[in-house]
Amino acid sequence: MIGATIDDNLERIRSDLAGRGLTCQRLLDDVLDHVCCMVEEKMHAGEDFESSYGAVLDSIGENRLPELQHQTLLNLDKKFQRMKNFTYIFGLSSALVTLLGAFFKRMHWPGAGILLTVGIVLIVLVFLPLYFVTNYREQAEKKNPVYPVVGYLTLALLLAGALFKIMHWPGAGSMVLLGTGFLIVGFVPLYVVNAFRRAGKQKVALPYVVMLLVGIAIITLFANVNMSKTSLELYREEAVQNEASVQQVRERTAALLELAGDSVTADRQGSIARIHEQARSLQVRIEAMQDEMISLVGEPGAFIGDVQAIDNRRAGDQVISKDGAGREFDLEANIFREMLEEMIDDPVVRGQIGDHLEFTGKIWKIEYGAGHVLNEPLVKNYYKLSDAAKGIALAEYVAIRNLLGN
Amino acid sequence: MISNDLLKGTLRTIVLKLLADNGRMYGYEITKKVEELSTGKIRLTFGALYPVLHKLEADGHITTETEYIGRRVRKYYSLTEVGRSGAQQKLDEFFDFVNTLTYVLKPSPA
Repeated sequence: MIGATIDDNLERIRSDLAGRGLTCQRLLDDVLDHVCCMVEEKMHAGEDFESSYGAVLDSIGENRLPELQHQTLLNLDKKFQRMKNFTYIFGLSSALVTLLGAFFKRMHWPGAGILLTVGIVLIVLVFLPLYFVTNYREQAEKKNPVYPVVGYLTLALLLAGALFKIMHWPGAGSMVLLGTGFLIVGFVPLYVVNAFRRAGKQKVALPYVVMLLVGIAIITLFANVNMSKTSLELYREEAVQNEASVQQVRERTAALLELAGDSVTADRQGSIARIHEQARSLQVRIEAMQDEMISLVGEPGAFIGDVQAIDNRRAGDQVISKDGAGREFDLEANIFREMLEEMIDDPVVRGQIGDHLEFTGKIWKIEYGAGHVLNEPLVKNYYKLSDAAKGIALAEYVAIRNLLGN
Repeated sequence: MISNDLLKGTLRTIVLKLLADNGRMYGYEITKKVEELSTGKIRLTFGALYPVLHKLEADGHITTETEYIGRRVRKYYSLTEVGRSGAQQKLDEFFDFVNTLTYVLKPSPA
């Protein structure tokens, strides 16, 4: 009797289930039998078909059937499962390469740049797209491509910006800025809305929280700038600090030389004297360029503080590019670096020297080359030169200390 | 009630073990059996059960036969040879895991 009632309604149940999104035949048989069993159980307890069936349908809800079907089909999709596994393994290994690169960088070991570049490029171009695509495909309903796209752009820009910044490639600033913009305007609001919508229904996706934290960490890293000051003032302050550092480092170098006395071979003493001489010559060139730039806009003998407010973008162009002083300085700085590399055997010290003198060669052409100084305010060029002076003083100190056997 | 998170990794093991003990079973029967064995603590929803059953079938661990109950089709699931050894392996793995976990989590003697 009871069986007959269910059988009478079998087609209705089938079409109800199909109407709720269950279209896959092999699943439909399973769920149809399952639902009938649930209804039968209630009917055994004394309820009639209509109220039993109504209660069972309510307990199933609107979304569970499409979700079930989606999950089943994905489970059966071997290609998708392989892609998912690949994504995890790939993400883990490229993150490890990046971490290793960061560690190398910290230790000033050679190869840091290559490791960081490979790691971050793989994360941005392979892992992140794969991750967002698999994640997107796993969602059964209410798919919104805006979420993964904004997430990808935010992370890709921030990571690439960090890489460019570390490698001193041009464009780092705008990438980080754009990524931060995406984070604040797109990612965070979307994330908050999504979290509220899912509240109680599902736990918040952990990867997104991790990514959010990574984003915030990167921003904090680059945001150590006092926003209440204008950038011109900041450049001047940095330049003054650099000049103070140069002074300190020179004093330490002098102290080193005094302590060492005649304890080293004549050969080494010759090397040390050459380093000292070359560093001094480079610093003289820098000071000359700085003075020249200032005298173009202010009284002769003026201090950078006197002209900092003047946003004269032509001074740097004139002195560094047109007069050729920048080019001559660059040539000599390269010779200085090559000389140090020849003299120093310890790879750690060589790495340190490379870091201190990284403005030579490529960096000089990108940041100081013609066309770039043209568009920079005077005080910024002044600051860049002071930064180079600091690098030279530090490289000199490190090299001499190494040669003295300390 | 046992949370779904804890259950997630063990669902395959549960299904394989039940089929090993009971021969052939249909989906609803499996959920009822799990509920009975766990004294109501584990309630398998069909949303969790059928993806696993179909995956096991696709992997060759279980096979199906159909029977008519009234006018509707019922699918009975049973282990294949591969599934039988897979069930044992999964069980061993699971008990090993539980033992390790008990060892790690047991209260330290104060």
